[in-house]
Amino acid sequence: MEWIYILLMALASSLMVIIYLVTKLYKVSEQLSIIEDSLVDIKKGNWNRRVLVNENDITKTICYSINDIAMKSQTQLIQLKQSEQAYKRLMTSLSHDVRTPLTSLVGYLEAVQKKFVTGKEKEEYLEIALNKAHHLKGFVEVLFDWVKLDAKEQVFKLEEQDINEFTRDILVNWIPTFEEEHFEYKIDISDKECFIRLDPNAYIRIVNNLIQNVIAHSEGTRIDLQISENEQNVMVQVSDNGKGISPNDLPHIFDRLYQSDESRSTNGNGLGLAIARELVHLHKGTIHAQNSLYGGTAFIVKLPKVL
Amino acid sequence: MTKYTIETKQLTKIYKDQKAVNNVNIHVKKGRIYGLLGRNGAGKTTIMKMILGLTSTSSGEVDVFGKNIKGREKQVYPRIGAIIETPGFYPNLTGTENLNIFAKLRGTSAPNAVKNALEIVGLPYKDKKLFGEYSLGMKQRLGIANAILHDPELLILDEPTNGLDPIGIAEVRDFIKKLSVERGKTILISSHILTEISLLADDIGIIDNGILLEENSMEELKRKNGKYILLQVSDAAKASLILERQFGLKSYSVKDDHTLQIYNNSLDMASVNKALILGDVSVISSQLCNDTLEDYFRKITGGDGIA
Repeated sequence: MEWIYILLMALASSLMVIIYLVTKLYKVSEQLSIIEDSLVDIKKGNWNRRVLVNENDITKTICYSINDIAMKSQTQLIQLKQSEQAYKRLMTSLSHDVRTPLTSLVGYLEAVQKKFVTGKEKEEYLEIALNKAHHLKGFVEVLFDWVKLDAKEQVFKLEEQDINEFTRDILVNWIPTFEEEHFEYKIDISDKECFIRLDPNAYIRIVNNLIQNVIAHSEGTRIDLQISENEQNVMVQVSDNGKGISPNDLPHIFDRLYQSDESRSTNGNGLGLAIARELVHLHKGTIHAQNSLYGGTAFIVKLPKVL
Repeated sequence: MTKYTIETKQLTKIYKDQKAVNNVNIHVKKGRIYGLLGRNGAGKTTIMKMILGLTSTSSGEVDVFGKNIKGREKQVYPRIGAIIETPGFYPNLTGTENLNIFAKLRGTSAPNAVKNALEIVGLPYKDKKLFGEYSLGMKQRLGIANAILHDPELLILDEPTNGLDPIGIAEVRDFIKKLSVERGKTILISSHILTEISLLADDIGIIDNGILLEENSMEELKRKNGKYILLQVSDAAKASLILERQFGLKSYSVKDDHTLQIYNNSLDMASVNKALILGDVSVISSQLCNDTLEDYFRKITGGDGIA
């Protein structure tokens, strides 16, 4: 009788194995149909679609790979779209930034040409028109710089420089402007030498753009320039006692062509800070702005001592 | 591909004799952040619950991912992440353990899903702290981590910044924005705080007493509610000359040959019009936009405002 017993046992266990396999198979086929659905969706362009799996599913690695591919394609697609949008924004913004001074320039010149103004007033109109034309020229130059920077065409040559001495040299040229614009200035730079590697032209641009920004936008009466150092970095700080920057705008001021509505179309072109940031990044440094508790804004450039 | 990720049609919810949600048609566009703005008890949460099937609809329909959700819940829910009110976690387990349970229940889209989700919301992985000991802000963060655990296409977040401190609010706002901008997620978010929504949302729906009062893109609302004067004239060049010479205007921009946007609202429009006409410039239209978003909401909600 024993063999019947054994046979039954074998039968029962093989039945169990079969049931187990069938359920497993059923589960896998269910998963495959989910995968198929998702792939159809992804193929249609929904790169956000994910296939969810459990820890011990057979299809786990396949699903994870599908998700990974979808995610990476999505990221690339979004980056492309973003640069496209940025380009469009640049174009609209540019057309405004060029159009406004140009229109008013035309206004002045027409008035002169049609002899609405004469004598001294005419001279004045011509001078204003010329100033506006210079301003536009400056804008176009800055714009080309930016485009070159953006396309990474400009070549940078880093050389050892005493940043303290070098900054002082740059600032000397600014003093007449400070006086003209009625800015009190305080310069706090150590006499000690502090050599770091930088591209002189780029560094001049960074400092100039930051100061230019203070003069054009801060509405302050005082500008402080300070250089300090620690073991790893040199910090260049340009601060003012002006109106400060609204917290809503603060995260965006280094984005190219970002200008808060009020400052739009007065002075500047919204490229200065973007260029400064780009140049700082080429020195592997960081730049940020913060509002001071006592009013005004501080721009802080941090450059690494060892590049 | 359908344009709308969520579309409700005449969605209505009646509690006893009160209409909590009254014929609401909202349209959440793919890849954008839709902000549902309204006071407490306006019906925001009820709408979200109906979209998620957490409460029955009295009448009307909900389409999610382009199809009616009825009967497709099982396929659709894994593609949505949500927090509605306080999320249910086990108080005697740590945050990581709680998320591990949800990961097992729902399945995951990538290895290390729990760790990644915690990283995004800024909570430590494998921390010893029990959920019961969490602060309100940490609980809220864990709720969001749970909502994004399976990398869903659509996020439905009911007042996600409730109970967070100001810095926490800014952080949460940032990563919600990031999820939309960098990962292309579609997000439906509710809040009773206007600034919150205006900083975050691409589209906005304003709901009051269960009725959707307005649905519009943020861009359009901001355009309608900026502080500026829009001036349409026969000759922008001449007009700009007059404005500069006679009114000392600096902050304006020229939109095209006939349109000027002036950012100085204190300008006396009557004398501007007069000066322009005397200067042989005909004024086609002048439009003063002086409302802030807040004024606007006060207007459409019948005087009471939002928050």
